[in-house]
Amino acid sequence: MSNRKKLSRYQRVQQILDQSQGPCIPDYQGLGAFWRDLNTFKTAELYGQRLIALEPDQSDHQPGGSGGKSCCGEGGGVVDSLAASESALNQALIPGGSAATVGECWPTGGKNPAKQTASSLAGSSGQTAGQSQQTRSDRSALIKGLRKQFPFDGSQFPPLLWQAENPVSPSDIDFIAAWIDDGCPESDDTQDTTAEGTGTQARFGLAQSGASILALARGDALHAVSAKHCNAISDDVQGLKVRKEVSTLSANELSLLREALACMYTYDPHIFDERSFNYWARIHTDSCQHGWEQFLPWHRLYLYFFEQTLQDYDACITLPYWSWSDYADANRATYNTEQLDMGVLPEAYGCFLDAAGLAALKDSGLFSDSELANLARLQKKGTIYNSGLRFLKAAKIDYTLKLSTGKVMWSDKVNAIYAELRRANPLWFPNRWPGSLGIATHYPTAADVQGILSSNNWNQFGGGPVYDHHFGWLEEMHNGMHNFSGGQNPLFLSAAKAIGVDNPDPQNSFNPNYGYMTDNRVTAFDPIFWAHHSNVDRLWAVWQEIRPGLNPEELDGILPPWPMNVGDTLSTRKLGYEYMRDTYHYPVNDQQGLLRFNAEKAGVKPQVLDTFRKAEIRLHRMHVANLFNAVIRVFLNAPDATVATPVDNNPHYVGQVTTFQGSCYGGPGHCDKPLPKTRRFDQRPLQHHEPRNFRIDATEAVQRMLANGETDISVHLVVMGLDGKPIDDAVFIDGVSLNFID
Amino acid sequence: MNQFKIHPAIGCARIGNSDEFYLAPEQTGALPIECDEQGREIVDDKGLPVRVSQFKEAGNLGRIKRQAARFRIFVYDENQLDSDRELKIGDKFQFPLDTSTTGPQMVEGTVVDIEWTVHLANKKASWYAFSENDGMHGYGPEHPLRNPQVTQPDRRRQLIIDPGPRTVSGNDAQASFAQNNGNAYPQSFPPPDIQPYSIATLGEMMVNEDSEHHRRLIVLGGYGRSGYKGADGNTIPVISNYANNDGWYDDVSDGPVRAKIKYSYIHRYTDAQGKPVRKKKFSTVDVNAPAWLLVGYPSYAPEIEDMITMDEAIYDLSVRHFAHDPAVYGVAPFDRQSNQPQTAEQWAIWRSDAIYNPDYYPHFFRDIWPIFNRPQNYSFTYDFDPFGGGVPHNRGTGGNLDKAALSQPPKNGHDPNRQHREFIYAIMRKQGQENLYTVPDDLSAQYVSSFHNSASKPRLMPMLNGNNPISNTVTDKFLRMTDTQLFFLKQWKDGKFINECDEWDEGNTACDNPWADPPKSGTAIDRGVLGNVLGGAFCPGAEVGWIMLNPAIYSSAYRIHQAAYIAGGLSIPAPVASKDGSQADDIARGMEPGDLTKYMGLPWQADFHECTDQNINVTYEMWNDIYPGSTGDPVKQNTAYNIPWWPGHRPMVIQKASGGQYYWASGIPDNYAGGVQMVRDWVNLGFIKFEPNDGNPGYYQIERNDQALGPQLQPGQRTLGGEIKGESNNE
Repeated sequence: MSNRKKLSRYQRVQQILDQSQGPCIPDYQGLGAFWRDLNTFKTAELYGQRLIALEPDQSDHQPGGSGGKSCCGEGGGVVDSLAASESALNQALIPGGSAATVGECWPTGGKNPAKQTASSLAGSSGQTAGQSQQTRSDRSALIKGLRKQFPFDGSQFPPLLWQAENPVSPSDIDFIAAWIDDGCPESDDTQDTTAEGTGTQARFGLAQSGASILALARGDALHAVSAKHCNAISDDVQGLKVRKEVSTLSANELSLLREALACMYTYDPHIFDERSFNYWARIHTDSCQHGWEQFLPWHRLYLYFFEQTLQDYDACITLPYWSWSDYADANRATYNTEQLDMGVLPEAYGCFLDAAGLAALKDSGLFSDSELANLARLQKKGTIYNSGLRFLKAAKIDYTLKLSTGKVMWSDKVNAIYAELRRANPLWFPNRWPGSLGIATHYPTAADVQGILSSNNWNQFGGGPVYDHHFGWLEEMHNGMHNFSGGQNPLFLSAAKAIGVDNPDPQNSFNPNYGYMTDNRVTAFDPIFWAHHSNVDRLWAVWQEIRPGLNPEELDGILPPWPMNVGDTLSTRKLGYEYMRDTYHYPVNDQQGLLRFNAEKAGVKPQVLDTFRKAEIRLHRMHVANLFNAVIRVFLNAPDATVATPVDNNPHYVGQVTTFQGSCYGGPGHCDKPLPKTRRFDQRPLQHHEPRNFRIDATEAVQRMLANGETDISVHLVVMGLDGKPIDDAVFIDGVSLNFID
Repeated sequence: MNQFKIHPAIGCARIGNSDEFYLAPEQTGALPIECDEQGREIVDDKGLPVRVSQFKEAGNLGRIKRQAARFRIFVYDENQLDSDRELKIGDKFQFPLDTSTTGPQMVEGTVVDIEWTVHLANKKASWYAFSENDGMHGYGPEHPLRNPQVTQPDRRRQLIIDPGPRTVSGNDAQASFAQNNGNAYPQSFPPPDIQPYSIATLGEMMVNEDSEHHRRLIVLGGYGRSGYKGADGNTIPVISNYANNDGWYDDVSDGPVRAKIKYSYIHRYTDAQGKPVRKKKFSTVDVNAPAWLLVGYPSYAPEIEDMITMDEAIYDLSVRHFAHDPAVYGVAPFDRQSNQPQTAEQWAIWRSDAIYNPDYYPHFFRDIWPIFNRPQNYSFTYDFDPFGGGVPHNRGTGGNLDKAALSQPPKNGHDPNRQHREFIYAIMRKQGQENLYTVPDDLSAQYVSSFHNSASKPRLMPMLNGNNPISNTVTDKFLRMTDTQLFFLKQWKDGKFINECDEWDEGNTACDNPWADPPKSGTAIDRGVLGNVLGGAFCPGAEVGWIMLNPAIYSSAYRIHQAAYIAGGLSIPAPVASKDGSQADDIARGMEPGDLTKYMGLPWQADFHECTDQNINVTYEMWNDIYPGSTGDPVKQNTAYNIPWWPGHRPMVIQKASGGQYYWASGIPDNYAGGVQMVRDWVNLGFIKFEPNDGNPGYYQIERNDQALGPQLQPGQRTLGGEIKGESNNE
């Protein structure tokens, strides 16, 4: 054994390896010069090879932490770099950045009772009997590598040290081997504990009417419009869910949608988690179908499955649509070719500063007093801006960038503001400069939309089949609005130049040249994508309604990643939804026979009355057993209507429906309403006592009311027997609704 | 004792209709190599081969140059696994001299020459009809033959194009595989009046010698001439099937490449008077490892690699059957010593015990990245855009195949990209998923928990046709990577892989392809050459087909087992051979000339023309053809559209540097008549080559003969006179 004792043996080992390696140190799987830190040296693995083998009695129970396997799936903590790069934008937009809490907002069906299992159960299987005879140094990868032994014989790895300046002499290898065989201390290991948390989820409760049931049933009191979420009502009356125009969402409906999206954003670091927003956005990147007949069917399913996910969060949520042509006039009125990103978008998608945001910006310490005064003024005014740049301009704060490890990002000020804008409105998106591509992109007018709806063949409307593919009219219109809403970043070059970047990357996440809506690779990352495509889907549904039976040529084509084919997409009803500009629902007590039904004015929004194509009154869930037949007359804005009210030339009269019921024979309770159909495997057809629905077209009647100068609508029913006399034990219903379809 | 092996073990020549030629590339995805008239490689001032930039004759867009295969002899020391020492004239070795008078003795010999012998043949017309996977493991006696009316053994043999073997030696000799250009060998050639092109040769061969006294063999294939004469004597060419067309012949071929090393030695003996005599004598020794030549059709996009190359297919086979790489696959502890079976019994035990080494660390740039690098390149030969989403194969930041993320192994126990790798691995098509379109819940759940019962079902990758998306016999709808590649991917998914740039690239910060240098060793050349040959799917394939996946045709890894045969008596299908005791096809005897290409489409242009893409019925896993109408079964059918065959080997839609996508074969109609036109017009199609293109780098078309084919059309544009559908109000 050597007696050179100026250095300790370990120091000598380091010296040998340092001298062999020379100045160029390869990565060694991130270890670098692994011999320089004794703890690392004794415990580290290089590509699965333990550099210094465990002592024989340690071999059986390896410390769990030494492999350093990260866990996937449950819990927070691990943020992968792809997600980090892809969702850097969303991360930056979450106040608190990547440190924000992840995974606490989504409802679950109960916590997974299983403990986190180790990622790799395989372990090392290659222990042969002979190994126990070997010395510790013989088993150490460092010694095998220096001696050019398998697997360091080139068959798997080159000999150690890699990229070495000088070989280690055999006597020096023996010196290191002896140092190893003379013993190394035990390794440390650490243990993690994981905290459990439970998500909570607020839901809208069901409210009950307190008015006198009898007075309502006689028409002496007015039925009131329900304040419930429209889709909660849909569930109550077992109807289709409703996708509404975004401007007609109630405050509750809008905030629930925003809340769900905000929750989805928190999962974005886990890009393969179906609850993450980016997971859904990437499906467009990977699989979208454009330019042929599968465009409409594929996107119908895309929206459907995304909406189903939102409904996991809250069953009431549906996607709103963005009816382009309704914004055409407002956009034309404000269009300005000199100033970019002035295009009009639905207000729900704009940005604004709320009080919490202002407070956060104050606390950030990033802003001067005058800047804060400007921000406070904007917060007080509550103006909603179409783009982040417009907001910054109003706040007199420059759109500025910074360089962070070679990448262009927003400056701290812009980042702080954008994060608060996004928190205040999760529907807003920073890489959106509507209208900035100039005159070439603009809203279609109502006449334009009528034009494409007038098409009478599928190829023209929806695109060609695979062997003769071409764009359809609806998709062409859709293309234009993609580009309009995304627009071009007016400060793309100048803001980059200001920080010395002359040739900025046009696909940079923070300062791209074009808005995300313009690029099919990233378009679905902008939340307005979903409203845009809902409108595409709606126009298809409208066209299907007015041109029934016109379908794509190949109904067998499947639409990956969805496990359905084109034929499955032809009915929105089968998928559980319909489109409505707005809907007003009056709950009715179903235990009291109606004599007359009177209702307060529905409070129909002016833009609904401006744009509706069809008005429809629906009677929901009428009892159908052991009842007299009756006639139900429907009037608008006629609270005094009775059986005596004339119907001829009466502008208030909408029409009438007649019931056709029969006697019911059976044991006690046989004639009661059947149980709601809730069992998963109940495949029976409609029960013969299932309450039935009526629909009465009120389009012309509503138009007459408006022509008469009315500005709001109320619904009135009069029930009479087949003898023309009032009857109060024939009609039992759950509700009446006034619906506007555009 | 030294050993002598020809490399590449399997060479690849390609037909052309020009007399000019260049040399086959010896690296996967590399351009071919420029050479002089004798086939000597041209190098630049750094000593690197000069790459071909024009695939056609100067000034003649209707003349495609041929690709020559180059063969060299490498010298191996005893037990050496690989060698980069090429045999030179003048080298001295100990040779085993076996004379009838002395018995075997070792003599020191000086290499003076090499005698090369090549025998090419085309057996397509004499062979069974190709019907997808049927026949992969033998044809039943009832399986239809091509040209079924020819049932007499001698006439059946006449369907083989067999010019006989040729031998060349010296430093500039040449020979041709032409009709009436041999010796007494009983040649057979097609009738001279086949139309549109007669076939009078399968190619030629020549020797050259470079300044360092390496003598090399150059072999050229045919001129791409295909012709037809029906059994009724009609010569108006008709094509009615992608693979089987009776009456047709083409001039692709394959066959053995052998060599004898001629050496001089001093013969010492004692004369009758008892005086010692020294006399210079000559003898020859066969090389220990002969080679094989494949002749294929032109590689129109040589730099765009196939999703599976023939090298990867044969490597996989060699690893699993021939203990080719025991560190990857073998018995523990996976070193060479423990994995050297010799006897048949030892091989049987080895094949039953060997497994993939769970501690193997594949190398990212060598073993993993090629799999992920290729798909995005297909956007230059296949029209993804209208049909296939945004950029599903994006290799840049944030893409599914983001190189920066996928190339980083776990370091210091930190593995930020694990989830991403697990996702990619989960969507790779595994063994047993050949007939599945999308990721199955139960299997994927173990990799990515969020797929379990997921609304969205990602498609399994690669999304390419398998060996049989056509018939119901041995259905094999979609391509999957080889077993060994899937093993590499699994290791990679688990974080067991090495980034070569991190560790071994001399600190090169710009390292992005540590395997860019031309190969020097024999084994590397074997692999590099086959890296440009299609390795799947095989229906029937491009150069050669599924016969290459049968271990019985090899004598060792990458080496074709060569059969002995008699002149003019090449084997024919058993049902005909049995009539007079002729030699029937028998894989156990080894391969004869023409035995690898005989399975391929006849003429090749028919299959090449059709192998663009395919709609696949995915209603049921094991059925390609279903007939619900015959039983009134109201099954809901599911069809996957436009699944490409091999976008790297048969371009469909190209991008122009000036913008826009165009049909590559525009001008040749997409029907059987187009197949006949392809027989003439393959020479006019463009080649696809990498161009920096002013900051918009990519693979762009050059040398298309618009004069012959007419202007190129874009998808959606209609041909002149084509039917206009759907846009009229014709209610």
